[in-house]
Amino acid sequence: MSTAVSTAVSTAVSTAVSTAVRRGAAGLALGWLLVPLLPVALWAVASRWSGRAALPQQLGTAGWVSALEAGLGPALLRSTALGLAVAAVATPWGAWVGRLLGWRLARHPRLLVVALVLPVLLPPLAVAMGLDVVVLRIGVPGEVAVLAVLAVLALPYTAFTVAAGYARLGPGPEEQARMLGAGPRAARRLVTWPALRRSLALAALLAFLVGWSDYVVTLLLGGGRLVTLPLLLGASASGAGNEPTTAALAVVAASPALVLLVVVGAVLRSARRSAPRTGPGGAA
Amino acid sequence: MTPAPARDLLPVVPVALVAGGAMAAVVATSLGLMPLYGQPEPGTAGWQQVAPDLGPAVRETLLLALGATVVALVVGMGLALVLLAGAPLVRAAALAVLAVPHVVGATTVLLWLGDGGLGARWSGAGPGAWPEIVGGGWPVATVLALAWKESAFVALVVLAALAPGHRERMETAATLGAAARHRWLRVLLPTAVPALAATGLIVLVYSIGGYEVAWLLGRTTPEPLPVLSFRLFGSIELLDRPAAAAAALVASALALGLTLVAVAAGARIGRALGAPS
Repeated sequence: MSTAVSTAVSTAVSTAVSTAVRRGAAGLALGWLLVPLLPVALWAVASRWSGRAALPQQLGTAGWVSALEAGLGPALLRSTALGLAVAAVATPWGAWVGRLLGWRLARHPRLLVVALVLPVLLPPLAVAMGLDVVVLRIGVPGEVAVLAVLAVLALPYTAFTVAAGYARLGPGPEEQARMLGAGPRAARRLVTWPALRRSLALAALLAFLVGWSDYVVTLLLGGGRLVTLPLLLGASASGAGNEPTTAALAVVAASPALVLLVVVGAVLRSARRSAPRTGPGGAA
Repeated sequence: MTPAPARDLLPVVPVALVAGGAMAAVVATSLGLMPLYGQPEPGTAGWQQVAPDLGPAVRETLLLALGATVVALVVGMGLALVLLAGAPLVRAAALAVLAVPHVVGATTVLLWLGDGGLGARWSGAGPGAWPEIVGGGWPVATVLALAWKESAFVALVVLAALAPGHRERMETAATLGAAARHRWLRVLLPTAVPALAATGLIVLVYSIGGYEVAWLLGRTTPEPLPVLSFRLFGSIELLDRPAAAAAALVASALALGLTLVAVAAGARIGRALGAPS
């Protein structure tokens, strides 16, 4: 009897220690990921924070007002438009390549993969610098050049994401639709693409983020006319004494990430609550 | 459903045109063959002009890129283990960090570690007493800003490699008598290594070519290659453009060269371990 009690106590202690370690590790991980954003959050609501004071002496919207005066509104519109345009080009393009890769239709798959990955291996600055002279000489508008380069840079993300979707789906459903009399286009439109909607949505999100986040390609090829949020933020952050403005711009530039944090956090937590409890996972 | 051979590579023709055309133009610019205005003046003047700065710039670039890669891999592996144990908030935070633009990461590190930043305020350091973490002798702030964002990327990729079948692998090893330490070293780590190697290479290459983080947080001399290249490119002296192109080419060669070495080494190790080719 005493052995059984001792075993039960030992198991309970071990489980408690394991839970504490797991929670501690999760806390540290959250700290590493989120604490770096703290000064942006504090400065964004500070109107006065002078000297070496530990916390803002006055809260307010001074940073937001000056960010709006610096062009936050138009920059937000340009960044959104650029992200959407990159997604609109790179997603169908990636779906085309993804089909070749995912269903192993390519005769030269390695060459295809190398060609896809090569632009990502090159410094974006070098690619933009090379094209800068070319687009000036042939008269291509800077906005078009920025879109072309960012679509090329987004293509590996969209192509490999959709390729994974195609690989999971397999060609079976489309072949069955064809056997039932659907034409090639109808089979894709009515069977394959709806089944790939999650992969296509993820690919579009990744492509949007490539356009939204870009700094150096827009700076070089945009010719000073395409002032997006990252450019406005970079200009503000490189100056001194305008921390509230910089923080307000940073919050807006990070807004897709904040939306993702809230949405994904809620989805994962609700999935965890509704999943059947199978006991602790444990990494080891 | 098999496409014609010629159509096979059709979707990547624009990629080849953009990347190949850009690199050809950078080579031509560095050799004076593609000036912005005026007649071409072929030669190596651009290379000669930038040559004294290239050595220190390559060292600075490698220092910050290797530092960021090592920190991102170590922290990313730790985050992956936390995610593997099931931590929905951490996973959401990692995804969010992945979506944060690099310039925001650089900004927030600047507001933490710069003189007058949160670190100086909360530590009570007097004016001038706070160490030069931003723009100082070592690229600490640049490494931290890059590693912060890239560690989330490493974690999510390693998690994707580890998660399928993880519980079964560990239980099988335990059933066969492997102690916890051996399960980690001989089951978990080898499963994670390919993902760690691939993400490490991607982080290294990105850090070599990334501009905005090093520009905001790095010291002014020596400059990393992208910062040196961009400064020369923006110079009012048009003769600096070939020198800028030369520096950009060195950064490209460094990124591509390290990739080739890593891929060749990976293939050799794979063959030695008996992996299917």
